[in-house]
Amino acid sequence: MALLEIEGLVVRFRTHEGTIHAVNGVSFQVDEGETLGLVGESGCGKSVTSLALMRLLPSPAGHVEGGRVRLDGTELLDLTEAEMRDLRGRELAMIFQDPMTSLNPVLTIAEQMVETIRAHTQMTAEQATARAVELLGMVGIPRPETRLKAFPHEFSGGMRQRVMIAMALALHPRLLIADEPTTALDVTIQAQVLELLRALTADSGTAVILITHDLGVVAGMTRRINVMYAGYIVETAPTAELFAHPAHPYTVGLLHSIPRLDAVEGEPLIPIEGTPPDQRRAPVGCPFAPRCAWRLAACWSTNPPLEPLVTGMPVVLTGDRATHRIACLNPPTPEEAAAGLPLREGFVAAPAPGSVVDELAIAEVPA
Amino acid sequence: MAAPSIAVTPPVSQRASRGLWRDAGRRLLRNGPALIGLTCILVFVLGAILAPVLSSYDPSLGQLADARQTPSLTHLMGTDLLGRDEFARVLYGARLSLQLGTISVVFGLAFGIVIGAAAGGLGGKVDGVLMRIVDVLLAVPGILLAIGIVAWLGRGQIQIMLAVGVSYTPIFARLLRGSLLALREADFVLAGRSIGASRLRILVRHMLPNALTPLIVQATLALATAIIDVAGLGFLGLGPGDPRVAEWGEMLTDSARFLQYAPYLIFFPAAAIVISAIGFNLVGDGLREALDPRLRR
Repeated sequence: MALLEIEGLVVRFRTHEGTIHAVNGVSFQVDEGETLGLVGESGCGKSVTSLALMRLLPSPAGHVEGGRVRLDGTELLDLTEAEMRDLRGRELAMIFQDPMTSLNPVLTIAEQMVETIRAHTQMTAEQATARAVELLGMVGIPRPETRLKAFPHEFSGGMRQRVMIAMALALHPRLLIADEPTTALDVTIQAQVLELLRALTADSGTAVILITHDLGVVAGMTRRINVMYAGYIVETAPTAELFAHPAHPYTVGLLHSIPRLDAVEGEPLIPIEGTPPDQRRAPVGCPFAPRCAWRLAACWSTNPPLEPLVTGMPVVLTGDRATHRIACLNPPTPEEAAAGLPLREGFVAAPAPGSVVDELAIAEVPA
Repeated sequence: MAAPSIAVTPPVSQRASRGLWRDAGRRLLRNGPALIGLTCILVFVLGAILAPVLSSYDPSLGQLADARQTPSLTHLMGTDLLGRDEFARVLYGARLSLQLGTISVVFGLAFGIVIGAAAGGLGGKVDGVLMRIVDVLLAVPGILLAIGIVAWLGRGQIQIMLAVGVSYTPIFARLLRGSLLALREADFVLAGRSIGASRLRILVRHMLPNALTPLIVQATLALATAIIDVAGLGFLGLGPGDPRVAEWGEMLTDSARFLQYAPYLIFFPAAAIVISAIGFNLVGDGLREALDPRLRR
């Protein structure tokens, strides 16, 4: 049984401007000790998914409106707040994007760490302090005994993120959610922090959900990747497979919009056209259709489910051999994926239903 | 990263953590106006404490024969209508004014923190109800509210402190609630919740200490107006109610009628009120600058 099972998770935000359809039926599993990447652009529902499973959605606006979240068989969405609080920190932990603001500026590191440790264990203050020193040493902070008495503003950004990692791992959680853990850090520090995170979670067997918009970060860290778009998972595959054979037009677009060192000189980057959809409207059809170069007429009205790329094999949900699945009616061929463009003779992306201008444009093509 | 410091022992961790308050204190002492304010307050505090040493006269006893003497070496500030030494009365008046002013602000702070923390921490309906009550109180001018409370509870020192304290409560409550609302969205609050801290713990341990800075600045500024309010109540005849007690506001009322014959009688208590109020104001402004990095000069 997988450690974490999410089934059909739906999250909505009620705001003054209407309902935001943040997560629209997301299902995935995470195995014990597995590292899963959650990739997508800002606002695609990566963070909301993780906050929903921690039950930390901003209230009163955020609601889980459907789905199941099971941690080791326990239904998290049915727990009382007190039971959930007991799980947080002990079984589930989280690291946030900005280490500059995630530590309380008026308390010393010692106060914050000892408090966390003692909230969940029977340790005395001395034992908890000793454990905090040990943890700080573990995340590579020099002279942990003295640094423990320092305030957050006396640490650099990378050091603060190390402190956050130490706090998150203090109680050996089984699942760690790292929400863009390196986005706010210098590039030189990013690699160090990622390596630290990788080594520590591998040691303790902690499963990790790594949320990022940076494909470079997930490439080296994760075993498996879920690509999210507009509140849906549009593609999921083992990391190597995803980079070698991207199959969803959005993933293809993402990979072609990052500069590569081994690119042929003068080869242009291919940006993804358009903007992310307005999530105030209930989704109709494939959410990526308006920006997709491969779209068919059916894409405007049908939102395809996540299905195996190669049919006829048993579907594996977790691990290195997880089945490569995509949600697409007209997936790019491997050659097209490599080129980043549709290569089929005479293929034109289907116009939006009722758009006259596009129809005129098509009428001219055969001539 | 400080690469050059590898060989040297970095001084950062050797020195004890300075913390926000130590830094703010240093900045306050480098701020000219705040220093002047501190000096004013210090003069009054010392005067109040050392009153029996500084003046050999009893502030409540006088010889009618000595009434309305002009300032001289025997009576530095002259004598009042009943022949009491004006200097002694200003000194003992400082005791009362500082005491009443400080305690009323402490009252106001205590009520305000409880109401503001409940509103900002619990939110929802509690917030709605408490803030509407605060709105009603804010709509009434503070001094009018204080007059009403003294008129209701009767004259006396405790009544004055309560009245002035209550009239400051809405300001503190609103200020704290505002800070708490902003802090509810703070990353470290979410981070605290993500490691399983309870709501009360987050409110008391993480949010309140971060919200106190503006309250402390506001309290210092409120001390200035509290002294004026206490004197104002005295001036309006709602003072401590004991004619023997030296109170700056009542001294003003008593001497106002003789402004033409003995202008110095009104000058000294008035100057005392003005200087102490300005002192607290300057220190309050200085504190605001010292505690807010954005206003740093």
